[in-house]
Amino acid sequence: MSTPLPQQMSLGISLDDDATFSNFYCAPGSQNAQLVQALQTQLLPEGESFVYLWGASGVSHLLQAACHAADKLGVSFQYLPLDELATMSPDSLLEGLDELDWLCIDGLQFVVANPDWEMALFALFNGLRDKGGRLLIAANASPNELPIALADLQSRLNWGLTLSIQALSDEEKLAALQLRANGRGLELGDEVGQYILHRAPRDMGPLFQCLNTLDNASLAEQRRLTIPFVKQVLGF
Amino acid sequence: MFGGLVPESIWNKCVSSLQDELPTQQFNTWIRPLKVDNENATGQLRLLAPNRFILDWVSDKFLHRIEELVSQFASELNDGTDTNIGPGLEVVIDIAARQAVRFQRRSPAAQVSPRVDSTSTQLDAQENGFVNRAAPRNNTNVRNTREPGPAPVRPQGNRDVDVEGSLKHRSFLNEGFTFPSFVEGKSNQLGLAAARQVAENPGGAYNPLFIYGGVGLGKTHLMHAVGNALVDRNPNAKVVYLHSERFVADMVKALQLNAINDFKRFYRSVDALLIDDIQFFAGKERSQEEFFHTFNALLEGGQQIILTCDRYPKEINGLEERLKSRFGWGLTVAVEPPELETRVAILMKKAEQAKIDLPHEAAFFIAQRIRSNVRELEGALKRVIASAHFTARNIDVDLVREALKDLLALQDKQVSIDNIQRVVAEYYKIKMSDLLSKRRSRSVARPRQVAMSLAKELTNHSLPEIGETFGGRDHTTVLHACRKIKQLREEDADIREDVNNLLRSLTT
Repeated sequence: MSTPLPQQMSLGISLDDDATFSNFYCAPGSQNAQLVQALQTQLLPEGESFVYLWGASGVSHLLQAACHAADKLGVSFQYLPLDELATMSPDSLLEGLDELDWLCIDGLQFVVANPDWEMALFALFNGLRDKGGRLLIAANASPNELPIALADLQSRLNWGLTLSIQALSDEEKLAALQLRANGRGLELGDEVGQYILHRAPRDMGPLFQCLNTLDNASLAEQRRLTIPFVKQVLGF
Repeated sequence: MFGGLVPESIWNKCVSSLQDELPTQQFNTWIRPLKVDNENATGQLRLLAPNRFILDWVSDKFLHRIEELVSQFASELNDGTDTNIGPGLEVVIDIAARQAVRFQRRSPAAQVSPRVDSTSTQLDAQENGFVNRAAPRNNTNVRNTREPGPAPVRPQGNRDVDVEGSLKHRSFLNEGFTFPSFVEGKSNQLGLAAARQVAENPGGAYNPLFIYGGVGLGKTHLMHAVGNALVDRNPNAKVVYLHSERFVADMVKALQLNAINDFKRFYRSVDALLIDDIQFFAGKERSQEEFFHTFNALLEGGQQIILTCDRYPKEINGLEERLKSRFGWGLTVAVEPPELETRVAILMKKAEQAKIDLPHEAAFFIAQRIRSNVRELEGALKRVIASAHFTARNIDVDLVREALKDLLALQDKQVSIDNIQRVVAEYYKIKMSDLLSKRRSRSVARPRQVAMSLAKELTNHSLPEIGETFGGRDHTTVLHACRKIKQLREEDADIREDVNNLLRSLTT
């Protein structure tokens, strides 16, 4: 084969292999555990036709996890990260997508307040509803907090099952870091984890980035995660 | 000559190869939606992508590889007699949607054996079979790959409508939207009575029926209820529901395809035309022109028209006066936001439909707080039901409060460190400058510790960032403050009350 096929698509359309339900930390019985269950069941007969997911972090991870699950079910679907696609013409981008079994739209906040996008999304919603397709749409805020000009769109976003990702407590953040580290064969002790948590940004995204940096450094230098090593690598 | 089956078989081989080469998700996203065009020109393998996005992506990322594979398989198939099959075979990708809308008279055979295809486009091409779909919902290949077990629900109740001399059209009637499932209240009783009248006597005095009101108040439900009632009484009734935006899109496609006469014939031959949200016709002059004539033809023919809108006809800016005038010829009724009792009744009905036991006080609690529209009310109930389901608890007011806590903005309100500092300073009656100073007297240090603790609890700032905003203190000082306040909240009732008061005022 003369042309290598893209392993990682530049628009970010390909899914992150790490983004699965199993490595999304949620305490048993917690609200986050409930929402993971709701997302897992959306494509089943009893699932909701329309789910709106919002939260400060973890949204893209969960959406991509849902896409992996959809892929296993063999349904036709499309993942649309709007942060990458917001500059495109919405009519061209969304044309025909209401024929899919399931559509997964990430980053609604990047296109709201744009009349063309709002109208196109409104039409897409109606098309999916009429044709029996399902929609998972996500943003960083609830539908009523987004500056949506088209009231028809806003009311439809409130129609389905609205789920919000709850921010993790420090204990849960530590557990989430340890779960992710464990998945990579990396041992992150409580003390080292606390050390990171007390110094690093407390959003999960940047925290996982710290873990990535540590993982790479640990591999390169063949060292375990200790406080001096973390201090050296992350510059605390 | 280059027969129709040859490109199909070449493409099938390409698909098999690409399936092996590509990750499953990439294959499903980009390759699976491509279909071979049955109208391949000589020497061409013409593929159809469902939209411009997929077309551009495939052209950019995969076309070269597809061309290589096509060339390879075409050479293998060529026995030397067909000069059109070989390395020179050209691969062309186009958008299926351009092909999808064709206005052709149905052949007698098609009328005898109509295709029931839930994936068909609004105006489906009967004879050529082009359908606008990325990956069809009824695609047997897709379904066969699935493990036995739950499968996604397919649309229910979309009956196809045969329209004389034209096309098969899906009615898009939602079977769930009926008169029995509509909850009557003061806010909507006039609209409901009018809709019932129209269902009893279509094409009569109430033509058109114009229902207007804010978003999510049940206008669409009433419209579908009439349509369903008409179909119940006469299963052969040609009732078509569509959103105004779809009417515009279909008309634009018809114009592009030089098929506007078929478009006209189609819409003028239905028994009842239900168009939702006609305010979106505003400013679209060509669509208004076409709809004006359709409207007149239907009215003259005694066919029923039902329209919904978010406002009174005269108030629609950008709509021709003659249309505004005609919209008022029949009956114009308003649907108002439901009052509390109706909201409770709607919730009880929805719960009953979902076979959920919803206590009256829980319904009352939701209805008191969600006042805007029915959609939001339904959304809230879905959330409550999901929460009850996941926690295996019965629904009561506590569960409702818990399930809707962020929706009701009872907590989780984002606050800034600056806001916390102001509120704490005000609460303890100290100056902001003292709170941020180096002073260590108890009267200042304790409020500072409380503020630091609240900053950690209510914001996502890092400890070094919090320390910085309190006069450049170290993160260890913040950590100490948090631990101290945590301890005092357990031991000291005054501090506990202070913190609770501050939390309440910052988060509600």
